[in-house]
Amino acid sequence: MSARNRELFALIPASLLVTVGFAAVFIQEDELISDASLTYGGVFLGLCFVAHLIIRATLPDADPYLFPLVALLACFGLVMIYRIDETLAREQAQWFVIGLLVFAATILLLRRDYRVLERYRYTIALVGIVLLLLPRVPGIGAQVNGAYLGIDLGPIAFQPAELAKICIIIFLASYLRDTRQVLVQGARRFAGITFPPLKHLGPLLVVWGAAMVLLVFIRDLGSSLMFFGAFLAILYVATDRASFVVIGFSMFAFGAWFFASTVGHVADRIDAWQHPFDDELYEQVGGSYQIAQSLFAQADGGVAGAGFGQALIETSNGSPILPAAQTDLIYALITNELGLAGACGVLVVYLLVTERGMRIAMLAQDSFSTLLAAGLAAVFALQVFVIVGGVVKLIPLTGVTLPFISYGGSSIVANFILVALLLLISDRARREAAGR
Amino acid sequence: MVEPASVALKFAFLAILYLFLLWVARSALKDLRRGTVAGGMAVAPGHDRAPAASPDATGLHSAAQGVGIGGDTPRLVVTSVPGHQPGAAYDLVGDCTLGRGDVEIHLEDPFASGRHARLTRQGHVIVLEDLGSTNGTYLNEEPVQGPQPLHPGDRIRIGDSVFTFEDS
Repeated sequence: MSARNRELFALIPASLLVTVGFAAVFIQEDELISDASLTYGGVFLGLCFVAHLIIRATLPDADPYLFPLVALLACFGLVMIYRIDETLAREQAQWFVIGLLVFAATILLLRRDYRVLERYRYTIALVGIVLLLLPRVPGIGAQVNGAYLGIDLGPIAFQPAELAKICIIIFLASYLRDTRQVLVQGARRFAGITFPPLKHLGPLLVVWGAAMVLLVFIRDLGSSLMFFGAFLAILYVATDRASFVVIGFSMFAFGAWFFASTVGHVADRIDAWQHPFDDELYEQVGGSYQIAQSLFAQADGGVAGAGFGQALIETSNGSPILPAAQTDLIYALITNELGLAGACGVLVVYLLVTERGMRIAMLAQDSFSTLLAAGLAAVFALQVFVIVGGVVKLIPLTGVTLPFISYGGSSIVANFILVALLLLISDRARREAAGR
Repeated sequence: MVEPASVALKFAFLAILYLFLLWVARSALKDLRRGTVAGGMAVAPGHDRAPAASPDATGLHSAAQGVGIGGDTPRLVVTSVPGHQPGAAYDLVGDCTLGRGDVEIHLEDPFASGRHARLTRQGHVIVLEDLGSTNGTYLNEEPVQGPQPLHPGDRIRIGDSVFTFEDS
């Protein structure tokens, strides 16, 4: 089977999942089987088919599994959000279509050679930084749960950090392509670890400083960890020096500890994370109610889950039991309704997407492509880690989205751009590897 | 109330999900196995991989090797250059220039400029620099911008002429 036929074939199970998922939700809510679920499945398949045709025409050698895996995630998102609220699901479906359009536009725009991005690296970096700081601009910035992640422009609200992450990765990949050879010179070995000379810690210090500023400015440990972790991943791929990673993480841990004990908002979050069942914190506004309910919901799911539509999201008088179920806590909702089995399935999908990304990075023939693919895969994986880790109380809960599943336009659009870039890199890499 | 049909659909949903994941994971595994059997072949011809590098070298390893060790004379080996015997080598003792004109390493290549690129010794490191050529110099298929230190196994390409840098 050729790569493109594999992709087409893999879209069928994804569409079947939409059909089955919607049918299950319909039965539970209306107690009747409606053929609307078939329609939804058909429309979903049609949309994916159009995107598939675009990939077939422009990127014939691209990775065959990436797009179907993404479609599967989007299907999870649509079914779960529909189950929460019909109007939200309709908006999400619109965003899915817009995401596909942006996806197609990115591919068409960069299909000649995506490496032109390297030429605009400083512009791209500037755009990324401006996007990150936008939520703090008075008037348009919006504070959610104490973190400055979103901006609000009347009808449009979006999370600029989602787009910023792609800009920052492009910049880091092209910057480190040039400087990596310098960074590994003159290293010293001590106690079995290779230490870089002090002067080459400069870039590390600068990015660490930026991550700390981010932490204080945006007040979100999760996105700060996501950016810094992705930077360390690219740095490791570029230099093959584990010492950079060790030093970087120690610095980050120190900085996070310092700000956690001095900045009030961060400290509150840490408290809620460590003692979610504390009576006082549980009752507090912005306290541990959300994380505690998330844990209850997941425990309620068991191994096979309670079934579609069975989770309690709000009480009969409309006050929420599972707050922000469509965004932050959507993973908890999936665990509640589909159980450990469903949640593991979702995590395996993310794992496979990351594996495809790393595979593309290994196949790529030039350093910029390798670094870019590795960076994009790393930031994607870290985003999943940050939000799922928060929901299962491994790390403090933060407000980043679960890619392609969470409700939210900017997240879907940005992640579609990310996947488009990965497909562009893999098309070139696989064509060159095959000697064509 | 839990409808039996709903329960059945839930399990159908999970079954489809896992079958699909199994299929993708199996193909991914097959990919990996093919990668190891073929050794470098499917993946390797290309950038940054030193031919002598250990088999577990992945991707960008060689950037860390061979910087400033010294020893034997570094050499520029002809991989495929019009008018040159493949395997022939130039010892890089002093500085030398590559190009179509009257220079140390003469190239019969229509894409080469008169004075195209220069190799200079800086301490233990040989540095490659493009001399503002029309068609550019490529180090491991990437355009050279500014002085670039060379590592064993690096490929230098000017037009259709390809050299490999060796340093033991």
